[in-house]
Amino acid sequence: MANTACFIIVSRNDIPIYEAEVGSAPKEEAAHQHQFILHAALDIVQDLAWTTSAMFLKAVERFNDLVVSVYVTAGHTRLMLLHDSRNEDGIKSFFQEVHELYIKILLNPLYLSGSRITSSHFDTKVRALARKYL
Amino acid sequence: MGREVAESCVDGVIMEMVSAYCNRFYSSQPELAARRIEAIGFQVGHQLSERYTMERPRFADHLEAIKFICKDFWSELFKKQIDNLKTNHRGTFVLQDNQFRWLTRISIDASPDNVDASQQDSSLPTPNNAAQFTSMHLYFPCGIIRGALTNLGIPCAVSADISNLPACELPGLHLNYGLLTSIPMLTVHYHSCY
Repeated sequence: MANTACFIIVSRNDIPIYEAEVGSAPKEEAAHQHQFILHAALDIVQDLAWTTSAMFLKAVERFNDLVVSVYVTAGHTRLMLLHDSRNEDGIKSFFQEVHELYIKILLNPLYLSGSRITSSHFDTKVRALARKYL
Repeated sequence: MGREVAESCVDGVIMEMVSAYCNRFYSSQPELAARRIEAIGFQVGHQLSERYTMERPRFADHLEAIKFICKDFWSELFKKQIDNLKTNHRGTFVLQDNQFRWLTRISIDASPDNVDASQQDSSLPTPNNAAQFTSMHLYFPCGIIRGALTNLGIPCAVSADISNLPACELPGLHLNYGLLTSIPMLTVHYHSCY
């Protein structure tokens, strides 16, 4: 079951600190388009984030058959996923687990908040979670 | 996610940190030592706030964030809640903790026998010394609160004041952009940019 998915983490200063193509059908030529769609969705997220106190914002935008889902943390870090699946519970669980991983990165005293996440361990784990939940 | 550590270890680390910065690293520049300790607290507060807000919904406004600090955040850190919260509705908040946990182990007695272990010089602690000594220990929690609030989207300045040990009028939050006015007591001046 091939699906496309692109996942980015945007810090509170609107700087992407992590990007990954996590779909099981790697489409290298469309990767830049995925990134573009996700960045364009940031404006919508900005407006939507203040209307609710929930963390999981579900689907905020659609592009063709791709959907952007967003999860906002209390520190206003946005976890954004571009996907074509409709498994909302799976996506929510995915976000929650990545949130926990992200907090572990944050707890590293040598990690400068707002800088790129370069840990390969984090990358491996996120891809494993994507295979599991998406 | 968390594993547990004995509280005496936390007390020990904090005492040693204050002692190291005040007496070894910046022994002639107490203001610099204070700034460094506060900066450490800032990063810790940043991390802790992210961790403790994981399970709960986000905050709708600043007052909710402050209440979170007073209740949940304070109970996680100090096993109790803030005893008194006052505001002047213009951005100043006064948090009062009548039994500040990290100061309960500090004793400043007149007799040199009971001098606290982290005080390395053997001079008799005068009331002035005692106040300065304990105020050094308050920079770390002030930094924690400032870090937590800044991460939740409220830039502020925090200061602390102690009336009598171990009761401690806790930090006053200055939510002020740019200007840092001098504070008579713990008052927070807040100018919203929204």
